[in-house]
Amino acid sequence: MNPLQKNIRATSTHIARSFTRHFASKADAEVAKPYPFSKNAIILPSSPEPLPPSLLKGTAIMAHVKNTLPPPAAKELLSTLFHPSHPSALRPGSIISLTLAHAPTNFAGVLTGVRHRGPDTSFVLRNVVQRTGVEMRFFVGSPEIKDIKVLTRAGEKGTKRMRRAKLTYLRDDASKMNAISASVRKAV
Amino acid sequence: MLRRLCATSRFSQARALHASYIACFASPVPEAAEASTQQWSPLSKRTGVIARKRGMTAMWDSNGARIPLTILQIENCQVTAHVEKPRRHSDPYVAVQIAASDRSAKNTTKAMLGHFEKAGVAPKRIVKEFEVTKDALLPVGTTLSAVHFVPGQFVDVVANSLGKGFAGVMKRWNFKGLRASHGVSVSHRSAGSTGQHQDPGRVFPGKKMAGRLGGKRITQQNLFVARIDTALNIIYVKGCVPGVDNAHVYISDATKKMVASAKVKMAKGKEPETWLPRGVDTLPFPAGTAEVAAQVADVIVAPAQGRNPWAPKE
Repeated sequence: MNPLQKNIRATSTHIARSFTRHFASKADAEVAKPYPFSKNAIILPSSPEPLPPSLLKGTAIMAHVKNTLPPPAAKELLSTLFHPSHPSALRPGSIISLTLAHAPTNFAGVLTGVRHRGPDTSFVLRNVVQRTGVEMRFFVGSPEIKDIKVLTRAGEKGTKRMRRAKLTYLRDDASKMNAISASVRKAV
Repeated sequence: MLRRLCATSRFSQARALHASYIACFASPVPEAAEASTQQWSPLSKRTGVIARKRGMTAMWDSNGARIPLTILQIENCQVTAHVEKPRRHSDPYVAVQIAASDRSAKNTTKAMLGHFEKAGVAPKRIVKEFEVTKDALLPVGTTLSAVHFVPGQFVDVVANSLGKGFAGVMKRWNFKGLRASHGVSVSHRSAGSTGQHQDPGRVFPGKKMAGRLGGKRITQQNLFVARIDTALNIIYVKGCVPGVDNAHVYISDATKKMVASAKVKMAKGKEPETWLPRGVDTLPFPAGTAEVAAQVADVIVAPAQGRNPWAPKE
């Protein structure tokens, strides 16, 4: 077997949920349509709902792709924690801890901004690690994000509501960042 | 390129090419050298497709790598005519004329209405020819689908770039401009000198100067097809495509990484499995039509390319 293929198969097991065929029964597998042009192509299960004909003309096609392209795990996050206006959406200033599949396996910090772009939504966490300010941008749709733990929610009762969508001023505010990193260390 | 090397022999079509190619390269004959009408071979050239650029997004492959995607949707792309014109010193020019994007009859000229009626298709907004080999001709009225392209292959996308208006030399020609201070007066972004002195005493034609930039036909080559959706007729290509959203683009098999690469590999006597990019077994031939799409699943994704970027390099 091609060594590259072996590597792909080994790493894809834990994220295989989104990418492999799901069949309720053997009968479904038998009626599944084979793809003769590529042996290794991944065939995703199609949605049972019929598509409105206006989609074929391009009406609201980007909104449709936004809803259907992300795998289920990412869709869940995009519709709640990282939705632009969901009641339980994360507000900038919240303190979040991530568990990742790649290094660094854990990263916690204050949420300084969310960039809403549908499946390509990303967010930035800032923390002070070993006396160095560190910002990391993570993509919500990435399969490398294993777990998101919200330690403190900004704007809820008892916590301050940030008056900015993007907290880039924290880059120049060492005292505030020291306070934030101390509370991150305490909360984690 | 290969034709010019064998200038003495005249090429007609795939079967006659067989012996001539052998004479040119003196390499062992591949078993599948004869181009059949239903099987793709490097000696055949498939048609392209007219699509519309809908926007951009991103997905993650099975390695966990992010792939930026451009969404290209095929909007009722149908064959409207065959073109065959003789050429003086070469084989005849053979092309298939494709039209896309339905348009209301009241907005179509009588001339074009007659043309579309003869083809038996609805009136369309855009009509274009794609040069093909004779075995890749399609019946008039055939509807093309996203299944024409295989996830894992490469395509060339042609579109009109975004217009930048009257652009200065720094944007248009990457000039460095002048200093920001130290006495420079009112010409920080100008071109500076445009020539020498009394000899030649003129500005050479073609001197790079400010002017209109953009709005021209641009080909983006070798874009990877990451995913196709046969239900919505969408091709997701990796990377950027010139032009505005909803603009018409022409998509065809990549000249360098598909067409030429396969021809060279075949002429060198490589294994047929290596002629196409890794992961692509064969291409729908003569084209990926709506009938082919009906026999295939809705969403097909290319396997992950290259090594896992998150795994440590050994």
